[in-house]
Amino acid sequence: MTAEAQSSWQRALAHALCGCGVEAAAWVPDKRLAPIAAGLEAESVVVHTLTREEECFAWAAGFRAAGGLPLVLIQCSGLGNSLNAIGSLVVPYGLGFPALISMRGALGERNPAQTALGRSTVAMLGLLGIQVFPLRRAADVGMLARGAVDVAEGARELAPIILEPELDLGG
Amino acid sequence: MNPTQAVHALLRASPDALFVASLGTATSALRAASDDGPHLYMGGAMGSALAAAVGVAGKRPQRGVVAVLGDGESLMGAGSLWCLAGIRPPNLLAAVLADGHYTITGGQPLGAPGGFAEVARALGLHAEVADSEAEVERAARALPRPALLEIRYDERTWPGPSPFVDPPVVRFRFESAASR
Repeated sequence: MTAEAQSSWQRALAHALCGCGVEAAAWVPDKRLAPIAAGLEAESVVVHTLTREEECFAWAAGFRAAGGLPLVLIQCSGLGNSLNAIGSLVVPYGLGFPALISMRGALGERNPAQTALGRSTVAMLGLLGIQVFPLRRAADVGMLARGAVDVAEGARELAPIILEPELDLGG
Repeated sequence: MNPTQAVHALLRASPDALFVASLGTATSALRAASDDGPHLYMGGAMGSALAAAVGVAGKRPQRGVVAVLGDGESLMGAGSLWCLAGIRPPNLLAAVLADGHYTITGGQPLGAPGGFAEVARALGLHAEVADSEAEVERAARALPRPALLEIRYDERTWPGPSPFVDPPVVRFRFESAASR
């Protein structure tokens, strides 16, 4: 897949999330998430670069508790850093917001340091009672964004969209 | 000065602010001093309170926001001081209740120096140390935001109210208070 085609699903996802009301975002930088962050900023959404993924979830919890709709963008390895903020703040307080989790350690991974957290990402979220929404095809971007925001706003649950490797492997 | 008196002084300085309290002493003291006001009390998530307060400040830029933090909490979430210095919300005061101990787990010493005000100043934040109610109130009124106020207290009495809050109730009351 060309770089332009790759960045197009990311830009479309940023656009769709903005259209669903996302107001601000926090992330720990990642190459695959970067075009999404750029797309958000292009639509005047402030994107904060924070020091740690746990901090992103805590920041978003506060933004949500104050009445806003935030977005968190992390690589799945950062989920390991985030479990306490999710498990003892986001979940029990019912602070629902969408999150984009970029998968590592899955199909096509060449770095052995990534595979353990990659394999366990969905399971960890499941053990916390969090439903995940996998995104594998660029054509599904709009549907996933709308559905995840509905879950976050209406059902007040954390709504992670899992950015699967297939998105960049011709899916 | 005890922690409840310190938080009383913060409330006098910023009566209309949105308050976020970290777990343990900070939550119990804020509940005691505000008569269980509609604040964002943390029942857990140690190390997350300052980042959550930055989120609150971002959504409600027209409101004052005060983060009441334990010193152990502040060490666990130390990176958030850098986040505070990077984002520089113009409406946020971080108040660290510093007694050098992990109170809620039985009073064990921190095992690390505090120095929160010095660190904050090194990061370009406004910061002061206060060790009396009058100093807390004066500094909380005077410090330009964003700022950190290190509150050193020596009377390590437990404030009273339980730090184990009912999260949906806390969220509902805080959302209502934030939207006013």
